[in-house]
Amino acid sequence: MERGNSVSKFAATAVLLTLLAAAMPAFAEEQLVLVVSTHSKVEQLDSLELRKLFLGLTVIHNDSRLRPVLNETDARVKEIFLQNIVSMSDITYDRRLLRLSLIQGQTQPAVYKDIAQLKGAVAADPSAVSYAWAKDVEHDARIRILRVLWHD
Amino acid sequence: MSDLSWRITWVCLVLSFLLANWAFAQHDHSSGEFEVFVAAEAFHGSGQTRAGNADPWIDADVIFGVTQHQFRVFGEYYATPDEHDLERFQMGFEFVPETVLWLGRFHQPASAWNTEHHHGQYLQTDITRPYIERWEDQQGVIPQHITGALFESRQSIGKDGAIQISAGVGAAPALSNNSLDAINLLGSNPGRHRLSVTGRLAYLPEYVGASSVGLLFGHDDLAASQARPLPSLHSSRAELTIYGVYTDWNTEPWRVVGATYYVDVKLDQATRNESFISGYLQIERQLPNRFTVFGRSEESARMQESRYIALFADHDGDIEIALHRQALGLRWDYARRQALTLELAHVISLDQRSDEVRLQWSAAIP
Repeated sequence: MERGNSVSKFAATAVLLTLLAAAMPAFAEEQLVLVVSTHSKVEQLDSLELRKLFLGLTVIHNDSRLRPVLNETDARVKEIFLQNIVSMSDITYDRRLLRLSLIQGQTQPAVYKDIAQLKGAVAADPSAVSYAWAKDVEHDARIRILRVLWHD
Repeated sequence: MSDLSWRITWVCLVLSFLLANWAFAQHDHSSGEFEVFVAAEAFHGSGQTRAGNADPWIDADVIFGVTQHQFRVFGEYYATPDEHDLERFQMGFEFVPETVLWLGRFHQPASAWNTEHHHGQYLQTDITRPYIERWEDQQGVIPQHITGALFESRQSIGKDGAIQISAGVGAAPALSNNSLDAINLLGSNPGRHRLSVTGRLAYLPEYVGASSVGLLFGHDDLAASQARPLPSLHSSRAELTIYGVYTDWNTEPWRVVGATYYVDVKLDQATRNESFISGYLQIERQLPNRFTVFGRSEESARMQESRYIALFADHDGDIEIALHRQALGLRWDYARRQALTLELAHVISLDQRSDEVRLQWSAAIP
């Protein structure tokens, strides 16, 4: 009888762990994270630095001029970026980027619509800073996650 | 040096920077920019027999730039069927973040409107610019293109705010019979170009925001292109001293842009100096479905009595100088980086009244 109880507890624990493991990717899908290359010297960026960076202002960390990389791999990422990072509507942000060119001939941030290309670009440039779904980058050894920007 | 030599020098310079851009593209810390703003416009004005220079039926504004570490180079080339010019060409060094020293031809920082919109029509919500902010080749009365040095800096103040300082010094335009002739980087430059000193001190409630309020100052020593006094001015020189205040306030869905300039004109052979005031207020509101409605009122005082202002009226069938102007319009951003704009206006000029209607398509490429 005691042996039977042990088996039941073991089975219940296994089922619970299996369910939790199955649920983990679902949680991960709902996290937008700030990412840099593993070769980057950036340890952390606060919200103001992040907003400066993606609005075209100069942000320097450890003598490295950071380069913003926009993630437009899906509409949801773009929506969260606009709401939570730059706090602007789509049209206002686009005009702001165009003003970068018009006022000082400054370069607009690179835009990637393919996650593999975005990860490749971030991994290859220690000064690049971007954001992505946690599930897309957490197992990529070339990418380092700085922090969670948004979660459901 | 002959005109041809100057042109060749400048073309070589521009080409070298473009080639440098391609070469630097392989490097991690360099980047280039190329953008074209285009616009096409239909215009009708009652009592006017022709559209003015400020209303070309089509225009293109080409922006090119290279950033390499702390160095920046960029230019703005503007073309219409009637004119084409290298409007800006600046080489800069960013000493510390957001503090840049530029050399070259630039838009003077004491203009509230032009430092924001430059020549790109797409980024301007409305079609027209206020008369007091017009460019020199559109019968503008205040010098806008200076060739020399420009210092720009933005520094944090308080928890979120910033102070922005811009100061320019260089060669002012020369004064001809009915226009100001700024130094032309690609062509000849008749006349003497004396000193221009301009500046702006602005407060930004948010360091990264688009809102600002500030003070503007300019002093331009304008010499006549010819040695003899200009007949309508009875003077061979005019010294402009400009004091201004401005606001550009953005709180989505609202935007308010306004400026007032007091302009003192000192003439060397006049029994008395003169002064005038000109200002404008524009209010914009974004509406659903990417529509934006806007209205602008421009007012002035003592401009009709000014001999300096009269210099710019050539009575050739369009309105060069507006004493008062009210405009109302609607813009529709119907596609990414493309917009249609309708603008209706009533203008009182030095010698007539006119009702105007304009329809414009504008875009940014790519």
